[in-house]
Amino acid sequence: MTRLPRLAVLVLGRLLPASHREPLLGDLAEEYADRVESGGRVRAARWLWSQVLRSVVPAIELRFASPRVLLPVARKDSIMGRLLQDLRHALRLIRRGPGYALVVAGTLSLGIGASTVVFSVVDGVVLNPFPFPEPSRLVGVGSEFPRAGLELNFWENLSPAEYLDIRDGTRALRDVVAWDMGNRQASFGDVTDNLFTAFWWGDAFPTLGVQPVLGRGFTAEEIRRGDRVAILSHRVWETRFGGARDLVGGTVLVNGEPYTIVGIMPPRSLIYGTDLWLPMTVAPEVFPRARRQFQVLGRLAPGATLAQANTELAGLAARVAEDHAAALPEYRDWRLVAMTWADINVRFLKPAALVLTGAVAFVLLLVIANVANLVLARSTSRRREFALRAALGAGGGRLMQQLLTENVLLALCGGALGVGLGVLGVRGVVSALPSVSVPVPGEIAVNVRVLLFSTLVAVGSGLAFGLLPALRARRSDLQATLQEEGHGSTGGSRLRLQRVFVGVEVALALVLLVGGGLLMRSFMRLQAVEPGFQTENVLTMRLTLPRERYSEDRIEPFFRELVRRVEEIPGVAHAATATQFPPGVFQQRRVWIEGAEPADEGTLPTAYTTLVSPGFFEALGIPLMRGRLLSEDDLPGAPIVAVINEVAARRFFPDRDPVGGRFRLSEPESGGPWVMVVGVVGSTRNRGLDSPAEPEVFASMRQVPGGNQFFLLTRTRVDARSVLPDVRAVVRGLDAQQPVYAIQTVREAYAARASTRRLSTLLLSIFGTLALLLAALGIYAVVSYAVSQRTREIGLRMALGAGQPDVRRLVLRQALLPVLVGATVGLAGAIALGRAMTGLLFEVSGVDLVTLASVTAVLLGSALLATYIPARRASRLDPLGALRFEQSGH
Amino acid sequence: MTKGVGEFEQLVLLAVARLGEDGYGMTVRREIERRTGRAASIGAVYATLDRLERKGYVAARTGEPTPKRGGRARRYYRLEAAGAENLLVARRNLDRMWEDVDLGGEAGRA
Repeated sequence: MTRLPRLAVLVLGRLLPASHREPLLGDLAEEYADRVESGGRVRAARWLWSQVLRSVVPAIELRFASPRVLLPVARKDSIMGRLLQDLRHALRLIRRGPGYALVVAGTLSLGIGASTVVFSVVDGVVLNPFPFPEPSRLVGVGSEFPRAGLELNFWENLSPAEYLDIRDGTRALRDVVAWDMGNRQASFGDVTDNLFTAFWWGDAFPTLGVQPVLGRGFTAEEIRRGDRVAILSHRVWETRFGGARDLVGGTVLVNGEPYTIVGIMPPRSLIYGTDLWLPMTVAPEVFPRARRQFQVLGRLAPGATLAQANTELAGLAARVAEDHAAALPEYRDWRLVAMTWADINVRFLKPAALVLTGAVAFVLLLVIANVANLVLARSTSRRREFALRAALGAGGGRLMQQLLTENVLLALCGGALGVGLGVLGVRGVVSALPSVSVPVPGEIAVNVRVLLFSTLVAVGSGLAFGLLPALRARRSDLQATLQEEGHGSTGGSRLRLQRVFVGVEVALALVLLVGGGLLMRSFMRLQAVEPGFQTENVLTMRLTLPRERYSEDRIEPFFRELVRRVEEIPGVAHAATATQFPPGVFQQRRVWIEGAEPADEGTLPTAYTTLVSPGFFEALGIPLMRGRLLSEDDLPGAPIVAVINEVAARRFFPDRDPVGGRFRLSEPESGGPWVMVVGVVGSTRNRGLDSPAEPEVFASMRQVPGGNQFFLLTRTRVDARSVLPDVRAVVRGLDAQQPVYAIQTVREAYAARASTRRLSTLLLSIFGTLALLLAALGIYAVVSYAVSQRTREIGLRMALGAGQPDVRRLVLRQALLPVLVGATVGLAGAIALGRAMTGLLFEVSGVDLVTLASVTAVLLGSALLATYIPARRASRLDPLGALRFEQSGH
Repeated sequence: MTKGVGEFEQLVLLAVARLGEDGYGMTVRREIERRTGRAASIGAVYATLDRLERKGYVAARTGEPTPKRGGRARRYYRLEAAGAENLLVARRNLDRMWEDVDLGGEAGRA
């Protein structure tokens, strides 16, 4: 069944009176359905929106003309009666001269649309990212290990022992839980899904402050015993079990093993789209103290503050360092930091969000300045109308009310259009955001608060720009106005005000353009960075083999066979497996270099450690610089070998040949094996293009067991995505139950990393361009108005012998003065903005002369053009005609 | 005396007259579009019908909802005697004015 788009129903439904809402929308629905059937959805939608837009004014008319509304208040002198009269007058004016209304409403809709988009997204992503009560009391605990070169981090940052220290050693935090994320296969009938899963020590419900819709959270007993119990997300409960109320107590197969369902999460995804919660299977005491792969979450105890929690954590960290730093030197100077969960998740987005919010506020100011300009010009041409009405008995207040009604009506039209633009914009922006920065997918929409905000802005600006001319209308003196010849003093002061507006507009536009320009240059720099390997045509996906069906000794053979079969697919050049690949390399470990005694001070050596199949380097196209690559002959039992990247070679073996050098991946006391370097490969930008290459060591997964999760990397000679069905078929052929997930090409992975940056660059560039257009429009309007004001004067000058160039110069000089003043102020603002933006920029200084110069040139050029057109018109005036010119009321 | 109506009002009245039992917003709008090529907006059609209703030229009644309309009821319009009379007067006046007017072949081409 074809249904009307919700937005159409919303727009017209709100405007129409109740008596006509149903039949009109019904008619639209009926014809829309017919048109979808006969001409397709695209053409039908085009027709529909043209109908909706063109029905806006008649709908307002209907609402106020309807006798059901009109009759009880029809007395002309009642407030309502006067308002209706004004509205009808305003509608008539709009119909007669739609150009002005279109420009004002259009300009406003751009400003309101832009602010709706930015505030909706900032609200959804930064201000209120999680649907938890009292979000300011939900905190995560981060750790910093300066001695290991590890900055403050909140992910996979704490060990089970440290979790217990925090849980038992702080009073300001309660309901402290530790958790980890992973993947599990859940079977529903004969369908097996890969579900993103969270594993908990503790009951997360009180920590998050939410109640399960059904059942309960995990009990301490269940966690201690490692019971097979599970909690499902609301969406899985609905899609897979149809929301059955009796599901709690039932069974779900997780990795083929039966688990008892004890609870259902409330609607909306709670933590990063995890659909399945399981208790951690092992007690925290089992893990070594340095195994840091967990996150810790807690809630501030009643009455406790974040500062108190941090003081306690600082004391705790000092005690732990005292007890354990001898064995674990990274504890020296380590820090524990509590931060609100919301802040942790948005701390990298916040600077961009702030800049965009500031930018959109500027756009809004520009829009208001511009509209005020238009209104001022307009009211000049209507002075006679006002004077006449005043002469016929309309009081000053009455005229003011009418002007306000007109302007608020225009503002509301602009607001409605703007919200429409905003809805589309929010959808576009959300689809462009990387999924990891959207904590609760599907939650970001134009919400009521934003709608309210937009309406306030629209009505507020309507009042603001309606007020000035209204005040003037009130003061206008009938006789002077009717006799005025077009060069009176009111015209002069109005012009001064407009010049101020032009200056302000130029300043705002310059700041925005510089912001956009800086981000754009920074983005171009980033695109020019060499990733260090061949990024095109590599398909990647992840497989997690369930431990229940795959013992340790079956994992590597499975992946070896997988690689062999994938390489037989036509179009595939190489295949390989790895625990991680650039740009998403994250597993960092301490290394102990043979012959390099760790200095007491200074950073302990760390490296990203990646387990790979021997074909990894060919598959990614990473060049060999020295020695050899890993080979099929590096087998278990033989000495363990590794390949390191150039950065690691320089840092760990600064003054000797790294090939033949040895290092350990665990404490010397633990007696772990030595690893021998056999080769050096080129460094890749393993943490993303905007970070320098970090030391990385590669060992063969045949020699070093690496868990049960691997990425399959497939280098193709054809389009990488085109081999996906064949690869899936190969996996099914090996194990029909085995899902693959996290499917993306390396190119897509890089694009996703840059997407936040790309988005803020795009938005700010759009805002900058918008600002340039608005400023040019404003300048044009003011200069045109000034020329029309001075027609007689120009005519006189020309009659007295001034040539065309003289006139042009006169007009240009007068017009460009506010532009230059505005540009100077704007430059100062732009430099301040650039400083504030330093954190967002990549290899571009906040005060970038190229950007400043080119942006100023573009702006001045546009200003010159906007001035030149009316200046030329003035210089071509016929002197005699100009002298006879009398400004006539229209 | 009947008050004169505008051109669009006449088109709407005539569409209602042509459609008989089947006259409601969508059919009126389509009828005008089909016969004159004028793609009027549904909003304008309703604003006009509302005006005509208040003048007593048409009468409205609520029809049945259908699923295709998303369960919304139709609002049927019927020509009233005053509306018919107004149309006839308008036509008579126009015919009289057209008598012996020649604008150069417009009629011949049709």
